[in-house]
Amino acid sequence: MEIKRAAVIGAGVMGSGIAAHIANAGVSVLLLDIVPKGATDRSVIARGAIERMLKADPAPFMHKRNARLVTPGNIEDDLDKLAECDWIVEAVLEDPKIKHDLYARIDKVRGKGSVVSSNTSTLPLAVLTKGMPRGFARDFLITHFFNPPRYMRLLEIVAGPETRPEAVAALADFADRRLGKGVVVAKDTPGFIANRLGVFWIECAVAEAIANGLGVEEADAVMGRPMGIPKTGVFGLLDLVGLDLSRHVAREMAAALPKTDAYHAISHEAALFDRMIADGYTGRKGKGGFYRLNEKREKEVLDLGRGDYAPALRPKLDSIGAAGKDPRKLMEYPDKTGTYAWRVMSQLLVYAASLIPEIADDIAAADEAMRLGYAWKQGLFELADRIGVAWIVARLQQDGREVPPLLAMAAEKGGFYRVQDGRLQYLGVGGDYADLKRREGVLLLEDIKRAGQPVRRNGSASLWDIGDGVLCLEFHTKMNALDQDSLKMVEDAVRIVPKAHKGLVIYNEGSNFSAGANIGLALFAANVALWPMIEELVASGQRVYRALKYAPFPVVGAPSGLALGGGCEILLHCDAVQAHAESYIGLVEVGVGVVPGWGGCKELLTRWTTAPGAPHGPMAAVAKAFQTIGTAQVAKSAVEAQELMFLRKTDGIVMNRDRLLAEAKARVLALADDYKPPQEVKLRLPGATGRAAIEMAVRDFELRGMLTPHDRVVVEELKQVLTGGDTDIVDETGEDALYALERKAFMKLIRHPGTLARVEHMLDTGKPLRN
Amino acid sequence: MTSRAVIAGYVRTPFAFAGKGELVRVRPDELAAAAVAALIERSGVRPEDIEDLICGCAMPEAEQGLNVGRLIGLLSHLPISVAGVTVNRFCGSSMNAIHMAAGAIAMGAGEVFVCAGVESMTRVPVGGYNPMPNPDLAANLPGAYMGMGETAENLVEKYQITRDEQEEFSVSSHVKAAAAQKDGRLSGEIVAIKTKDGLVERDGCIRPDTGRAALAGLKPAFREGGSVTAGTSSPLTDGAASVLVVSEAYAEKHGLEPLARIRGVAVAGCAPEIMGIGPVAATRKALERAGLKLDQIDVIEMNEAFASQVLACAREMPFDFARMNLDGGAIALGHPLGATGARITGKAAQLLKREKGKYALATQCIGGGQGIATILEAI
Repeated sequence: MEIKRAAVIGAGVMGSGIAAHIANAGVSVLLLDIVPKGATDRSVIARGAIERMLKADPAPFMHKRNARLVTPGNIEDDLDKLAECDWIVEAVLEDPKIKHDLYARIDKVRGKGSVVSSNTSTLPLAVLTKGMPRGFARDFLITHFFNPPRYMRLLEIVAGPETRPEAVAALADFADRRLGKGVVVAKDTPGFIANRLGVFWIECAVAEAIANGLGVEEADAVMGRPMGIPKTGVFGLLDLVGLDLSRHVAREMAAALPKTDAYHAISHEAALFDRMIADGYTGRKGKGGFYRLNEKREKEVLDLGRGDYAPALRPKLDSIGAAGKDPRKLMEYPDKTGTYAWRVMSQLLVYAASLIPEIADDIAAADEAMRLGYAWKQGLFELADRIGVAWIVARLQQDGREVPPLLAMAAEKGGFYRVQDGRLQYLGVGGDYADLKRREGVLLLEDIKRAGQPVRRNGSASLWDIGDGVLCLEFHTKMNALDQDSLKMVEDAVRIVPKAHKGLVIYNEGSNFSAGANIGLALFAANVALWPMIEELVASGQRVYRALKYAPFPVVGAPSGLALGGGCEILLHCDAVQAHAESYIGLVEVGVGVVPGWGGCKELLTRWTTAPGAPHGPMAAVAKAFQTIGTAQVAKSAVEAQELMFLRKTDGIVMNRDRLLAEAKARVLALADDYKPPQEVKLRLPGATGRAAIEMAVRDFELRGMLTPHDRVVVEELKQVLTGGDTDIVDETGEDALYALERKAFMKLIRHPGTLARVEHMLDTGKPLRN
Repeated sequence: MTSRAVIAGYVRTPFAFAGKGELVRVRPDELAAAAVAALIERSGVRPEDIEDLICGCAMPEAEQGLNVGRLIGLLSHLPISVAGVTVNRFCGSSMNAIHMAAGAIAMGAGEVFVCAGVESMTRVPVGGYNPMPNPDLAANLPGAYMGMGETAENLVEKYQITRDEQEEFSVSSHVKAAAAQKDGRLSGEIVAIKTKDGLVERDGCIRPDTGRAALAGLKPAFREGGSVTAGTSSPLTDGAASVLVVSEAYAEKHGLEPLARIRGVAVAGCAPEIMGIGPVAATRKALERAGLKLDQIDVIEMNEAFASQVLACAREMPFDFARMNLDGGAIALGHPLGATGARITGKAAQLLKREKGKYALATQCIGGGQGIATILEAI
């Protein structure tokens, strides 16, 4: 079964977000809602939702034009159109009666073999299918998306006893390949997997913070980064989700779970929440929550005891300082923060261990759900291994607390996971370890690394053999910032690949492909006036990237997340790119007061000059490149990157992060037959005339107060590079000349105090300085 | 002058916002061809008598390039024998086309001229796709390439014009245009344009609900701390216009109904950085040539590039606002650069007849520092 057309009923936040993401997959989708009383536009709800999404940030659409794939409608006039839909998603109010009535109407019009799924987060499948015809139950399942549907990778699928396996397989495959979701099969239990554990964690973390006298910031500092949990921790997460929504989910959970469930024992001071919600403090969408920005846009924090706000202090906790990256040390630390870490995580782990296999077949599914649904770096059982299961069990016993059998078994066997013959295995409920199976077409560097040694490695990058004659270049510095060692590894790859391999993939499994060149190094060198060292860093980057471009083998870049500055420039030098759909690519050098120096100016100019369909004439390419680089534009998706020419129209976009490496490798192999390196393109650039033309536009910005004094300095140098310096429209400018212009501009700027101030500020705050 | 020229017809397309209006998908050459075809049909002129199609365009490149004047003639099915030329004096282009026709008639170089003007500011950006200024001139005389918004701010400074005055002026332009639209006073000059999305019959830039409060909330559009906003500037616009200029003898002989006689014309340069003051010198010259005084003029069409620019002209050359832009000006109607000259000259002729006046003035400022003016008289 192929999903060519879909429908979403219910144009609330989730329903419309799901519709947008289906459109992101290139599938046309009908978005229906009710007809409000007295409405002149009978589809006003769905239409309004689409309009709102076009303005929302982060954007539900990967490209604004995807909105055209979403057709607004209403359930009075447009229900017949469901007959053409292969997949119908229901995302209406969590009321069984409303849902049943709707299902009955859907069932009358839907096509044979179509699949209907509910996005319910609280109602069991058994309730939803109760009293429905058997044919409906066979085509029905739950697809539980997380908010926001484009960005959260988890999709929980729950099938009923009567659901056709083919229906489940078709949806799971579509969700995996086309929507890019990590599909986790869950059981038909309240909250499924992620929310069952996640809501318990939130409730427990809030209750324990109050019980142990921790402030909001202290609790988040402990519950965030040290546990591999996003830095929003628990209170920040509540602000993000919305206090009203999380209260609603918590209440639903309490109502759905049996009285014996441990969840009931941790319910906290709901009064605090209710008061905040009543006063409009519902979180970021309201007047504020546990955090808020005051009129001066300074961050303030709620005092849990007094109920008023005080300036945020960003406390440096002794416990975290002492523990470093070791969560066990944090839990052992003899103060309230150490106790807090232990109390929350141990209760959660005991709870989770008692719920396998009730909510999921195995621990691996539970861990994946927390990673993808709550953005935890590792699942709970993985975290338990990191802490030490035996230590956990011993401390539980010391506290006189009950140890669930699965936890006891893991302690006895040495952990929830193990590596056997290079393969990752997890502990099954029966007590045997089983291989962790990847879906067909999924290739992870993580698995390759577990099974063997790198072909070559230094402190910043490694080369791995990923089979079939393809090597993979992996960066592994902080934020994958690029330094001499990274460049050295690129150089090594250019030398090593031709000896016995067919081509190279540049890929890593960090959150970000690369945040760009390590500007800390440049600042250090500048502070001690090591100008030749900086110039050599620029020159060697140019040399190495150029060697990569003209190497006698195909090179395919495979970014995900940020690919900025030098990280973008390496992609610009690849033969092809297979980009994860969530790639954020840009040349942001002007933000730190320099210009792209590793061939970024040259390559973007060349693309705007040579790409089919690009505007022509002596200024068109220069103007486009200037606009893109001069405003440090970052594409907010791979599709947008194609529009900005960071990616070619022929570059591939991969929706599922886990499939990126396999597809990039396949691309290398496809290019490897009869591979010929590209030819150098020479450009005709407008020189001084071009600078005068750019100035016409720049002056407008300056007058409008949109150009800072140092922007003006940077712009002058960028103008020089992009117009070809001292050239004329009748002359050809080659790569050497453009590299030289980039170097000259870079060196001039890096010596400027305004640039050094920008670099310093970026390193300190992570934000650009507008000096 | 051996032979006098008269205006014997005026037609334009609806004007619509560039980039977001109803004409964004229409090529400028087709827009102009529609205005020309309707002019010929409505005026009843014999196509084979036309000497030349003179088309004004401020950015004559891409879809409005390659001597678009000739191409518009072919597109509107004029006989092959009718010649075609494109003329560029930026915003004064199509008024200049009328001047060229009047001059040719005077010297006996033809009797019938179609004077058109067109600009799709959607499909060809201001400045064109490849602006290539002379770097030395740009350095020595920045005004030569200065953005129009900046020149409008310069006038604000020079003449001490308040934001309040500008906004009051803008509102009145919208009020007049909205009333004219509502009363059907614009429909007679408009030819409907067929687009993929349907027929476009009405102007799209007029905002009848424009109020002082809304205007006061806008940010300065061109200069930090400045006072010229999008609301007190003419919008970027798509549109075309055409005017039939014939010798008085030809009109009589063929039974055409002339709207007005061309009495005098002028162009004049001014400092580029205050180009908006251009109408003053051009008007003075044209009046002198016509032997008239400003207070003898019954109908004034002055292009509203910016409110500040019209107000500055009024300081130098006081005139009665009650006689100016009776059906609204460019701030409300829009300003498709190459088409505006034909619109305001055709409009002035039409108003002169409607208002039963004796003399009319049509005048505009021009980027780069110029003004252009035409004096019409009733027949």
